[in-house]
Parts: sequence; C-alpha cells; structure tokens
Amino acid sequence: MLDPDGGVVRGTLDVLILKALSWGPRHGYAVAEWIARATDRELLVEEGPLYTALHRLEKKGWLTGEWGLSDNNRRAKFYVLSPSGRRQLRAEMTSWERYARAVSRALAITTAATA
Amino acid sequence: MRRALRLVFRRAHIADAVDDELAFHLDMRTQRLIACGMAPDAARREALRQFGDVESVRRECVTFDEERERTMRRRNYTEELRQDLHYAARTLYRNLGFSFVVVLTLALGIGANTAIFTLIDAVLLRQLEVPNAEQLVAIGNPARVTSMSQGGVRLDLLSYPLYQEVRQHVPMFQGVLASGRADRVDLSVAGRATEHPRARYVSGNYFHLLGVPAAVGRVFADDEDRAVGASPVAVISYPYWTRRFANDRAVVGTKILINDVPMTIIGVAREGYAGEIVGVSNDVWLPITMQPVLNPHEKYVDDWTTSWILALGRLRPGATLAQAHAGVETIVRQAILDHVSAFRFSPPANVLAAARNDTVWVSSGARGFSRVRSTFQAPLVILMAGVALLLLIVCANVANLLLARSIARGREIGVRLALGAGRARLVRQLLTESLVLALAGAAGGLLVAGWGSRLLVRLAADGGTIPLDLRLDLPVLAFTLVLSLAAVAIFGLAPALRASRVDLATTMRANTRAVGGSLGSAGGRRLSPAKLLITAQVALSVVLLTGAALLVRSLRSLEGHPTGLDRDHLLIVELDIGSRGYPDVRRNALMQDLAERFGRIPDVAGVSYSENGIFSGTESESGIAVEGFTPRSAADSSAAYDQVGPHYAAAIGARLLQGRDLEATDNDHTGYVALVNESLARYYYPGGNAVGQWFRSDTTRVQIVGVIGDVTDHTLRAAPVRRYYMPFLHPLGAPTIAHFEIRTAGDPARIGPEVRRVVTAVDAQLPIDGIDPLTSLMRASVREERLLARLATGFGLGALLLAAIGLYGVMTYAVTRRTGEIGLRVALGAQRPGVIGLVVGDALRVVLLGFVVGLPVALGTLRLLGSQLHGIGATDPISIVAALSVLIVSALVAVLLPALRASRVSPIVALREE
Repeated sequence: MLDPDGGVVRGTLDVLILKALSWGPRHGYAVAEWIARATDRELLVEEGPLYTALHRLEKKGWLTGEWGLSDNNRRAKFYVLSPSGRRQLRAEMTSWERYARAVSRALAITTAATA
Repeated sequence: MRRALRLVFRRAHIADAVDDELAFHLDMRTQRLIACGMAPDAARREALRQFGDVESVRRECVTFDEERERTMRRRNYTEELRQDLHYAARTLYRNLGFSFVVVLTLALGIGANTAIFTLIDAVLLRQLEVPNAEQLVAIGNPARVTSMSQGGVRLDLLSYPLYQEVRQHVPMFQGVLASGRADRVDLSVAGRATEHPRARYVSGNYFHLLGVPAAVGRVFADDEDRAVGASPVAVISYPYWTRRFANDRAVVGTKILINDVPMTIIGVAREGYAGEIVGVSNDVWLPITMQPVLNPHEKYVDDWTTSWILALGRLRPGATLAQAHAGVETIVRQAILDHVSAFRFSPPANVLAAARNDTVWVSSGARGFSRVRSTFQAPLVILMAGVALLLLIVCANVANLLLARSIARGREIGVRLALGAGRARLVRQLLTESLVLALAGAAGGLLVAGWGSRLLVRLAADGGTIPLDLRLDLPVLAFTLVLSLAAVAIFGLAPALRASRVDLATTMRANTRAVGGSLGSAGGRRLSPAKLLITAQVALSVVLLTGAALLVRSLRSLEGHPTGLDRDHLLIVELDIGSRGYPDVRRNALMQDLAERFGRIPDVAGVSYSENGIFSGTESESGIAVEGFTPRSAADSSAAYDQVGPHYAAAIGARLLQGRDLEATDNDHTGYVALVNESLARYYYPGGNAVGQWFRSDTTRVQIVGVIGDVTDHTLRAAPVRRYYMPFLHPLGAPTIAHFEIRTAGDPARIGPEVRRVVTAVDAQLPIDGIDPLTSLMRASVREERLLARLATGFGLGALLLAAIGLYGVMTYAVTRRTGEIGLRVALGAQRPGVIGLVVGDALRVVLLGFVVGLPVALGTLRLLGSQLHGIGATDPISIVAALSVLIVSALVAVLLPALRASRVSPIVALREE
C-alpha cells in the first residue's frame, strides 16, 4: 500500500486526496497524477489504494461522487470536496504542520540536553 | 422476494460502477504509457503493476459503497418519517377539534380495554413474585382460601394429618408448605386496644420453601412447627409493618397478645410480599402448631375430620405437574383408607366411597391461591370480549371520520399527487397520521385505564376492598401498544388506501360525491364505505346490547326469584359464640337469653337462630340414610342440613306444610327430631307421609316432626336442595357460630343498633361478626352478576352512542351533499313529510341491515354467556326485541336533525348552489 517501508502515517493519503480536490472536481486518475507530481512520486507506490481511500472518504461524507465526461469524452467518476471535507482538510493541514514542525525541531537538536 | 431481488440488483449496480471507474483509470494509464513509447501489451501490464491488487481494491470499494448506500437509505427513511410526523402533527393541530374527538374516543376505547386487561393480568395471569414460581403446585381447591369443613371426608381441602402425609410421602416435591385460615384473631400490643389483622396459620417451612426472606428480623425456621405450642412467635407483612408500626425496626422482639396468648414478633417478610393469596393481603403469619393454643376451643391440628388447609408443593427439578398429581392422589387416597376410623362422625362406607371417588385437587400453584380468580374469571373474559367489540366500534367511528376527512382533503391529495408524490409515500403519510392519533389515544388510554381499573375493582368489591396489585406492568403496556397498532390497521388503512386511489382528473374538478351515498333510490344500490362502517357498528352494537339485555334480565330473574321466606323483613346477626368457650349448658342459656331479649325489641315479630344462617356463605352437608329407601347413587346418601333454634320456620317466614315447627323442648336432648324441607320429603317419601318417619343423620337416628316449604337460603343461582333441620343444641356437637334471624314488621335495618346494644348487655366480649338485613346479604351474593350486568350495560350504551354519532355524521353529510337533489324534489312538489321519510328511511335501512347482520353473530357468540345466565336462555326473545327497539329509537333520534334540515331545504337556495 502506501509506502510499504512504513514511516508515513496512514492519514497522509487522505489529506493529499482532499488537497488534490481543493481546486475543484477531479476523477481518480487525475488525483493519482496530481499526487505523483506533487510528491515527486515519493509517496504513492501503488495506485490501487488510492481508490479504496476515495471510496472510504466518500462514505465518510467528505467527498461526493458524480459521473461526468472526462477531457477525452469518456464517462468517468468525478469526486467533489464536500463542505465537511473542506473543513477536514483545514484541520488536517494545521495538525500536520504542527506535527512536522515538532518532529523537525526535535531532529535538528545536536546536543543531548539533560536539563 | 421482491425486496431480495432489489438487493441483488442494487449490489450489481454498485459493482458495475466500481468496475467502470477502475477500468477508466487503467485505460488512461495504459494510453499514457503508450504515449511515452511503450508497446500496447507492455503498457497494459505496466498499468496493472502500478495499480496493485485490482481484485482486493475492487472488493473494498464495493464494500464501502454498499455501507454508504445503507446509511443513506436509513437516513432518508428517518428523514421521511420525521417529515411525516411533522406534517401529521401540523395537520392534526390545524384540525384540533377533529383530533380531539378522535383521540378522546380512542383513549376511551383503548383505556377500557387496558383497564379490563389490567384486571385480567392481576387476577388471572400474573405469577406469584417468588423465585421459580412455576415450580409450585397447589394441592386443594385454590378458591377455598378461607374455607373449613368439619365432620366428613373432604379432598378439596386438607386436614393437618393429611397434609403431613403428603409432605412426607410424595417424592416429587422438594417440600410442601401448609397455609390455613385463622378465623378472626384478637391482637393487642402493649395493652393497647385489640385489633383484628388478617392472619394465616402456616407450616414452618413456609417462607424458606417460597423463597421469601425477612426484611427485618427473621422468618420462621423450618422446625418452627415441630410441636404444638412450641413456638409462640409471629411474622408480620411489610404493609402491616408500615401501617401499624410505622416501619420501626424495634418491632422485632415486640411482645404481643394474640387471643390473649403472649407471642413475640420475630420479623417482617420482605417488601412486596403479602401472601400466596391473590386478592387478599395478609398481615400476620403464625406457626400452624400454635393453632390449638390460640384457639383452645377448636383444636384442628390433630384432627382428621377438620379440613382447613391448602398446600403448595415445590417440584424437584425434572419432576412434572402430572407426576406430582399422580403422587399426591395416591398418597391422599391411601392415607384416608388407612385412617377410616378417625372419621368418627361418618359411616365407614361413606369414608371409603369418598376416599376412592372424590376429586383430589392438584393444579399449578404458580399464580397462588385465589377466591377472586374463580369468581371473576368468567365475568372478566366476558367483559374483555365486550370491551374488544367496543373498541372495534370506536375504530369504525374513527375510520368514518378519517374517511370523511380524506374526501374533504381529496383536493389536497390530488395536488400532492400531481406534484409527484408517490402513492406509497402518500399512504405512509396518511398512516403516520393515524399512528400519531392512535399513540395519543393509547397515552390517554393508559390514563383512563389506571383510573378505570381501580373503579372496576371498587365496583367488584361492592363496598368492601379487594387489594389487587394493578400495576401497568410490561404485559399491560405491550397489550396497549399492540391494541393501538391493531386499531391503526383497522381504522387507518381503509381511508389511506382510498385516498391513494384518488383519481387526479375528478378531484381537480373539486367535486366528489362518495361519502353519503344514496338518498332514496336515485344513487343506486351500492353501499358507500361510510354506510358499510355504520352497518358494521350497528351489527356490533346488536351483539353488545343483546348481551347487556340478557345479563340485566338474568340479574332481575335472580333477584326476583321467589325465596320461600320473608326476605324483606329479616335481620341476620352473626355471633362468634365459640370464641368465648361457653360450655353446652351455658350456651343454651345464652341463646335463650339473647332470643328473648331480641324478641322484646319493638317492631320485632319473630326470633330464631341457626348455625349456618341465611346467605351467610357457610353451608353444611351430612350423611343421611332413610329407612325403607334404597340409595340409587352416592348423592342419595347425603343432604344439606342446618341446626336451628325453636320456632325457626315461623321466624324466617317459611310455610309449614305438615306437622309442627321445632319447639324449645327439642333443645333438651330428650328426643332426636328433625324438620325436613319439601324437596327432601318428596324425594324420599313420595307418598307424602314424611311426618313420623325415621332416618339416620350420620350415626344418629332421628324422627321427622314437620315438613316446611323449600327455602332459597344460600344461593340464588341454583334451585333449593334437599335439606333437614335439627335442633341447635344437637348432642353431636353444638355450633360455634350462631346466626340469629330476627323478623321485623318494618325495615329490619332500623333495629340494628338496638340489637348491638342487647348483645353487649348480655356479654360485652361476645364478637359480633355481622348485622345485616337479608336483602343486602342476598344482593352481595349476586355481586358478580350485578357487576357484569352494569358494565355490559355501560358498554352497550357506549356502543349505541358511538353508532348513533356515526349515523348522525353520515346522514348529515349525505343531506349536505344532496342538497341539490332534495331541492329539485321539493321544486317538483315533494312535501316535507316525504323528504323526512326519505332521510329516515335511508337511515333505518342501514340500521336494519346492521341488525340482520348482527343478530346471527349475537346469537352465536352470546351462547358463550350460557353459564352466566339464570332463568333465561341465551336466545331470550325479550332481550333481542329490547335491543332492537333501543337501536331503532336511537337511530331515529340520531337522524332527526339531518332529516329536519333536509325538509327545510329551499329549492331556490339549493338549485343556486348547484
């Protein structure tokens, strides 16, 4: 699944999907492409789990699915961020930044302080 | 089936969508790779590789989608329900008057049903609240809770020695407890005034076997009954502790006097337990072996010939009621056969016959003992049926109201249909409205029931009290809920379905003519739904009214039954002469003294006395062997008997047919004489020569000195039986209870206080158990019949009222609808009487149709009243005619207004409206 070597929390994919949809409706393939580009193909090792995540988020009500036509005129399922999905994205971004800052700060320390 | 198909279909639909979505992704990826220069086959493989495990992703996606769909459907459903409820509440609120009437009638209908069911639950259904009540087995007739029988063999009650045999020798029981009546006890605490709590004598194992612990102190130990007089202790009930001792824990160890014997209260039984007898709340339990100490003049405990005990056995695990029955039967019969000589008053042949043939009573004891159960079982079932019919009528009325309204709302419904509301949704909407009404009705019904069931018990107790636990417990609440749902199904469905069939085109034209149906012959022969409902109501009313008429006539017949005595001028005074332990000679003097003093009271025309009294609830039977008569059956060898004072026949107003009345000298033990009644004289002496003949009463030879007319002296429900009367101070045993019969010229109730003064003057300690005019004792003896007749009349009138209201509503509506037609008829020369006749005729046709439908139903169902009817048959024509007349008169009253309104229709106004 996501980064089989471990290390990145599972919610990362969810927040990336929400972020990918924050500019407007996209179908699953477009979401996959955006994540690959945005992360320099560092995170998404396989594309299948993306779909599981999309359907899970749809069930949670953060996304709604709608069938429409793709650029090359094919029937495709588009995902739209719902208002609650947008709220979730904001919340996750804040907590992610706080988390990342804390971890980087910790890792940047060079001396073992015991006070 | 259809639901399953839809599920399969829906699942396929979800899976297809997921497949499409994944296929799109793979195609896009493949094309992208081809665009980068890969060969199509390789590109496809690479796309699949990048994707990962397609099958498991697909499965997970489908699962998520299915879950999502389920939640959504549920949310939709609750949302729709919320909307429906909101809409229903708004509609009902907007028609507040309508809603109020519907909820009120439903509340009364449901409440009446719940009230009766509460009683059925308390009296007939509920188990004793002790652990594993279903293991209990009742031995003895569970209705004879305060009975006692002396002299002969009885198998419907146990003597103490017989109980011991059962307790020790029936292997199916873990244990067997005894519970026996304790007459009246005098209890005094610390020298305060004597009171008379309800008491029972019980075996030592009573509390442990039932599983009833003490709230305070301790209950009896198993060996509390080891020997006569061994344990001068008492356990009291929680309610008595509260009432009498204000829940003071210091009650444990309190010294009390019971019948002047020092005893100690050792504990209080747990809260909520008031004995094993339904409808009687016991106050004090005494060890059964204290009986001879507390009642030194009537020692029951070692006596085979005193039957006074009901027993409860607790089955061993695995043993069945049938096995226990067989076990008890064997032991009881054998025990009596082994102790024939103990029955010293009965000829051995009689004892043997009883031991072999009499019924041994063994039944489930889970519901305890109860006299009210056997008395009120049949009336309660009849009332339940009656009140259920009433609810049907209520439902018909409500259905009619809803129907009328659904037609009035035809336009609204048409509009909603036109706006695209689904018909199924519409039906659901209308049913929701009915449901709201029914639940509101049920809530009101519970209020009505709480009040109604108490009222019923008060009516049933007829001035006394029957302490029943009338909780609205789970069975009652479930019953009410089921009832209201059934009501919705009955009254809500028809209007809802009808409304959903509303035809768009016709409703939009805003004129429907459905409710009233025809006036006269114009509209055709078909009955409208509204009239169909009225017909059903009338039919049901016929059943209820005829039933009520039957019960009332039966009661009249009972109460008016000729009794052969001066019923309106007798005062019955019950004295407990045994409790004072008068020896025979003093007892004779006491009776003579009292009789003389009563005779000197102004207005008194005659005085005598007897053991059993008249309508007192006690009765005696004795073996009889008539010289020169060969018995044809066991019944020929016994007769009812009583022991009476001098001038008995004259005092009670019985006719002396032959010979002489009993005289004061007959009490002197000089000769053995008897009076016999007409039935006995005719039966054994068909030649009419009874006087001077001899027969054996048990083991004593007596001579008949007179024959008196039959007297109805113990029950109005059965014809008088063969009876003989011996002198009160019969050498075989003087009675311990005496009933004085005092005949007055005027109202017997008036001399009551004077009688009390006389008794007190003779012996201030002599307990007076009752001073009642005979008429009130007789009335009390038919209280179940009176209750039944009263309630059935109430139900019948309720049914009548509802049917009349329904008829009034429908006819009013019909007249309004047909104003134009009537106007036309008037314009064409119809006269007022003709128009009135038209409306009345229309209504009467409905009533008569209902009667014709209802009568066979009534005749069929009312046969079930059979055993409750006296002096008339279930097809009593007078009752049927009475019901019909009442119906027709009510129908006429109900249509009077609509008919008058129709007759006042002015042709001009009517035609202009059209």
